[in-house]
Amino acid sequence: MKKQRKFALVPLGVMFALAGGLVFAQVRSGSYSSTNAASLGQGAAPAFAADANYDAGPYPSFTPELAEGDGRQEVQSFCATCHSTRYITMQPPLPGATWEAEVTKMMKTYGAPIPEAASKKITAYLQAHYVPENRKE
Amino acid sequence: MKRMTHAISRRSALKFLGAAGGGLALASWTRRGRALAGAQDRAKPLETFTGPGANPHWNSVGPYVTEPQKAPLILLTDRPVQLETPRHYFRTVFTPSEAFYVRWHLGEIPNAVDLGEWKLRVEDNVNKPLAFSLSELMQKFKPASVAAVNQCSGNSRSRLQPRVPGGQWGNGAMGNAMWTGVRLRELLDAAGVKSGSAQVQFEGLDTGAGPKGMGSNRFLKSLDLANAVLDETIVAYLMNGEPLPMLNGFPVRLVVPGYFATYWTKSLSWIRVLETADDNFWMKTAYRIPDTPRGTTTPEDMKAGKVKTVPIERMPVRSFLVSPDGSSKIPAGLGVMLRGMTFSGYGKVVKVEISDDGGSSWRAAELGEDHGAYSFRSWQAAWTPKMAGKYVIAVRATDEKGNVQPDEPVWNAGGYLWNKIEKQELVAGKAN
Repeated sequence: MKKQRKFALVPLGVMFALAGGLVFAQVRSGSYSSTNAASLGQGAAPAFAADANYDAGPYPSFTPELAEGDGRQEVQSFCATCHSTRYITMQPPLPGATWEAEVTKMMKTYGAPIPEAASKKITAYLQAHYVPENRKE
Repeated sequence: MKRMTHAISRRSALKFLGAAGGGLALASWTRRGRALAGAQDRAKPLETFTGPGANPHWNSVGPYVTEPQKAPLILLTDRPVQLETPRHYFRTVFTPSEAFYVRWHLGEIPNAVDLGEWKLRVEDNVNKPLAFSLSELMQKFKPASVAAVNQCSGNSRSRLQPRVPGGQWGNGAMGNAMWTGVRLRELLDAAGVKSGSAQVQFEGLDTGAGPKGMGSNRFLKSLDLANAVLDETIVAYLMNGEPLPMLNGFPVRLVVPGYFATYWTKSLSWIRVLETADDNFWMKTAYRIPDTPRGTTTPEDMKAGKVKTVPIERMPVRSFLVSPDGSSKIPAGLGVMLRGMTFSGYGKVVKVEISDDGGSSWRAAELGEDHGAYSFRSWQAAWTPKMAGKYVIAVRATDEKGNVQPDEPVWNAGGYLWNKIEKQELVAGKAN
């Protein structure tokens, strides 16, 4: 409030400048984040022949980073036979018993040919990185 | 504390202008500092996974990706492909084909189809096995159309508590399209179903790396020949008046109005009439729900082996608020339109109600154009937040069979049938 008195006698010209300043003070403009946001490149349209073949092209892979640790190699070679490891990172943190049941389901119900030693390592890996107590990414 | 730095630079700017009437100027400036703090919160990226609590977001949290013939959609998995439709696409009653969600089961999904070779076969327990090219399907049969919602059985699976493994869908594993093609009954009649047949089985072009005879090798779904839904079932070669994107089942897919999408076989290529009921994995083990009211049970009862299951079929009634979506603040006193859509697999939705107090009091919304019992139907309701504050908008639909959306969750091991009343927090700010 002190300031108000101090500047009470400024010339008329400055008053006009201030009116402009007031409008300016009510908005925020030109603010951009200093970090790069995620972005998506555009795909080019393919060239088609007028034959009977309808080809959508390959589907892109988006392979996730799996947590580093013992058993990751087994996960990448056995689990990824049928599906991408995004099936793991997509899940919420699941209890250890649920991960064990999932590995059993893949082998017994879906017939995944995983040797017992490897399946134990896979279960241990999932329990070491993807349960509520330790899930990081 | 960061906002102080910004505020200081603005302060020097104002000083330069020489602040007569500075009382006013100072007040507007303080307000600006707060806006800046809000902007910094917004720059925070979405978490990369949710849980063990329920996913609090409308959609799932994956990144946007672009797949062939598709708009950028939310990635669940890349092999096989599972993509979710972002919320804003539900502003229109018909979901654009390029934005329609994608869900395949097996890794080897079709990239290309040669229509010079491809045939749709009708075979097994029939008098005369047949095979049709796409042009024969288009020319030999009168086209039939139906507007119908396709919803994944596991849509909204990420809401369940406790969470269950599987595709962690938000609400976007659904879409509505105008489907055009051949009536399934006409194809069956042309081949002549042998008397005493039990079911009709559907298979598409997708296969998996798993061993023969296992669910990881072939995806097969069947329906009873006596089921009246087959009278409305279409083999569709058009989706919203366009050929189907490869990822949505080119060249033809099955359309089973009112039923969950598990029966809507993509790139359908074999229709087999079966003498006995299908006992393959995808009928006997997967896509089954507890034989209880609303298909709900508990993890304890499941573990105890107390739960009898039946194949999933029709979709329970649901309704959604599409906009406003909570991404913006609404000035108090400003009238806005609440908009959304509704559907039920049991018949026409006859009533949509909205609440702005989280479901304590309700009033009717206005229903949009009727595109048939199996389509999305839009709804809208004018709403004015009278005072600044937080409001919880809730939406509740009732279908013609009298089914009303409940406020209680469901739980089952598959993560199916979620249809709890949807709620959205909206913030009204001061307008002066």
